[in-house]
Amino acid sequence: MSEYVTLTINGAKVKAPRGSSVLDAALDYGICIPHLCHMRDLTPIGACRLCIVEVVTNGKSKVTASCTLDVQEGMVILAHTEKILKARKNIAEMLVAQAPNSRAIQDIALKCGVKQVRYPFRNDNCVLCGRCVRACTEIWQSKSLGFVGRGKERHVALPFDKRPEFCKRCNACIDLCPMTITPCPGPMKKGEEALCGLCESQLSMAQDMQDSCVDCRLGEGFDCVRKKP
Amino acid sequence: MLKKSKNIMKTITNTNDLRKLSEKSKEENKKYDKIVTLCAGTGCCASGCLPVITSLREELERKNLTQNVKIRTTGCHGFCEQGPLMVIEPGNIFYCHVKPEDVSRIVSQTLEQDKVVEDLLYMDSISNKKIPYEADIPFYKLQDRIVLIQNKLVDPCNINDYIANAGYSALTKALTTMNPGEIIEEIKKSGLRGRGGGGFPTGKKWEFCRKAKGNPKYVICNADEGDPGAYMDRSILEGNPHAVIEGMLIGAFAIEAEHGYIYVRNEYPLAVNHAKIAIQQAEELGLLGKNILGSKLSFDIKIARGGGAFVCGESSALMVSLEGKVGEPRPKDIHTTEKGFMDLPTNLNNVETWANIPFIINKGASWFASKGTAKSKGTKIFALTGQIKNTGLVEVPMGISLRKIIYDIGGGASNGKKIKAVQTGGPSGGCLPEKLFDLPVDFEALAEAGSMVGSGGMVVMDESTCMVDVARYFLEFLIDESCGKCVPCRVGLSRMLEIINDITEGRGTEEKLNLLEETAQTVSIASLCALGKTAPNPVLSTIKYFRSEYEAHIEEKRCPAGVCRELIHYSINKDKCKSCGACLKACPHNAISVKEKVYIINDEACQKCGICKESCKFNAIDIK
Repeated sequence: MSEYVTLTINGAKVKAPRGSSVLDAALDYGICIPHLCHMRDLTPIGACRLCIVEVVTNGKSKVTASCTLDVQEGMVILAHTEKILKARKNIAEMLVAQAPNSRAIQDIALKCGVKQVRYPFRNDNCVLCGRCVRACTEIWQSKSLGFVGRGKERHVALPFDKRPEFCKRCNACIDLCPMTITPCPGPMKKGEEALCGLCESQLSMAQDMQDSCVDCRLGEGFDCVRKKP
Repeated sequence: MLKKSKNIMKTITNTNDLRKLSEKSKEENKKYDKIVTLCAGTGCCASGCLPVITSLREELERKNLTQNVKIRTTGCHGFCEQGPLMVIEPGNIFYCHVKPEDVSRIVSQTLEQDKVVEDLLYMDSISNKKIPYEADIPFYKLQDRIVLIQNKLVDPCNINDYIANAGYSALTKALTTMNPGEIIEEIKKSGLRGRGGGGFPTGKKWEFCRKAKGNPKYVICNADEGDPGAYMDRSILEGNPHAVIEGMLIGAFAIEAEHGYIYVRNEYPLAVNHAKIAIQQAEELGLLGKNILGSKLSFDIKIARGGGAFVCGESSALMVSLEGKVGEPRPKDIHTTEKGFMDLPTNLNNVETWANIPFIINKGASWFASKGTAKSKGTKIFALTGQIKNTGLVEVPMGISLRKIIYDIGGGASNGKKIKAVQTGGPSGGCLPEKLFDLPVDFEALAEAGSMVGSGGMVVMDESTCMVDVARYFLEFLIDESCGKCVPCRVGLSRMLEIINDITEGRGTEEKLNLLEETAQTVSIASLCALGKTAPNPVLSTIKYFRSEYEAHIEEKRCPAGVCRELIHYSINKDKCKSCGACLKACPHNAISVKEKVYIINDEACQKCGICKESCKFNAIDIK
């Protein structure tokens, strides 16, 4: 069995190590699939659903998240079909309406082509991407954070809402949180939320080069290309 | 009804012993002149069958008839509307709504003198005639009962009863005359598809699991039935747990699995208890354990009780829950047949699917495949509920039309109103309008129409139902039951509810309706598990078939069915009003005033509670 498999993503032949995810393979080749909850080295949970793609087998296509999908020999992936782009844009719109106070999410919305938010803003502090929970559990083996509650009650919490002794104060949870860096103009107060949309360079990139991911660090570094602080 | 397991039995180690036991049990039943079958399913228990059973037992003892008459308390017969039910054999005499005070008449007339007690017979509302025999009742006559009929024939707490009814003979056949490959081939040929809602071909699933690498393999029975108004699985597990166990044994033999679980809702105490007793009795008899019936098959079953989460009925969430973790679905790009419970190959099927297996093995794949449509074979049990005359469980061949189920078996609307729609497939099924009632009930046809077979719920709605309000109700249910893991389901559904609330409260716009539709489509495409993927069905199907109702809410700010509070107005019809003043007295909000015998409802003070309408004897209160 070879160590590498070959698949096509958006028509491009891609070689990826066996066992890696379709999303990682695409990103390695500079094919941009927007994503939020995914981080290399953490177990994928497929929660944000931004990275959905179509997998084509025998002429039938199935929509699934690319972060939880392992590469397979001969796989055919379509990451930017009309159907996917529409759903992805809608998810990004929901996310930015839920938590406009995140530069990362504002960036993602921009990249996904959201130009108008039709839902009333909610200004939440957390989008339950689970980066903090997984980093704490998997990298630091600390398990100081976890998901509590189901459905609309679901939130991230410390055990019994107190910082436990086994918390290593590594701050990984804060570093990885998409909510800690506010949009460039500063935090938005309740009632003043808006779609940021200031990054003109990104805006043009989003429109012209759907596949391109060069220098775009959406959801990874949470950087605004135009206005670096 | 709770019962303890009966005396310890002799272990059976080969098929001969099993046949002997079956014959012995049959002989024992022949000793009795009469067998009184009483339904003691959850439905009949709720309508009071337990006191009936007690008084029947006392009456028989008093009259010294216990040697001649056998009382068989069974699981659900299906005709829950008419409970408590009683069937007397031989003769097939059917009594409904039996009360403890009727028992002495039944004993003295029917059991002693073979006379029928007229007033306990079922009254057919169409022909207006009393029907003495169970087999003649339209509700039963028009069904094709394969699995459900067994409920009437066996006492779920007595394994001998099941064995007397050819129980475990399919297992014998499978173990002695077939090899695993042949069993899987037979199931594949039968065309049986998962009865839990997915409709995945069962034989194929078994084959995947058999071929998967990993040891040990697991077999799971999904009895975490959570759809509002659906209770097929509960009734099978309550009424005939051994059929499920036998199905699982055959499955385990075919897949070469060693361990089994029945994951059942803790809200089903009777089903839990009966399954426990059944497993215990099967173990005592040697039908579960090591080297079953002298074969290579070793298999055990444990019961796991669910904690009440609807999402745990989803296979991957169920398995995670079984492992003792929080029940959340995981992406199924790798099938559970390869990596399921404990990351080992696991074959999960629904209760009804398992219960069908012994029949397919016994009667053959071609017999099973002769029922149903090209792609959906066999029979399916539906739970008929809502505004319909004959609520209960119906087992019909796949491909029967909705109209036949609703009007012929179900007897039509319960209150003389017109039936408007039926919601099939549980909370995430779609609402189909009256004009589509000629659709055949099969997996493809319903999915194409925007609904689904699902696990078999069927909620019938009449013209007093507001379809926007129905969509809102199911959305609320699904938001409560969503696990909250993925964005489309968690955020998308709450956004949809936000918009629907706007529409029902008079703030709807055309743009909002379009946004609702777009959000619904996103949720159905992008969600992680089947709960999310199907959750928008009620909204999408009501928009598709009842768009005019949405438009009335949005454009005219009017609820055509008179349900949505913010959009309706109460007024008094002067022509019908007799100025009796009943409404004035009844109104808790002082919203009704009277001036020179003319009664008026003050729209601002009116809270639309509807008490005035209930109090009016002349039907003079209008809702607009």
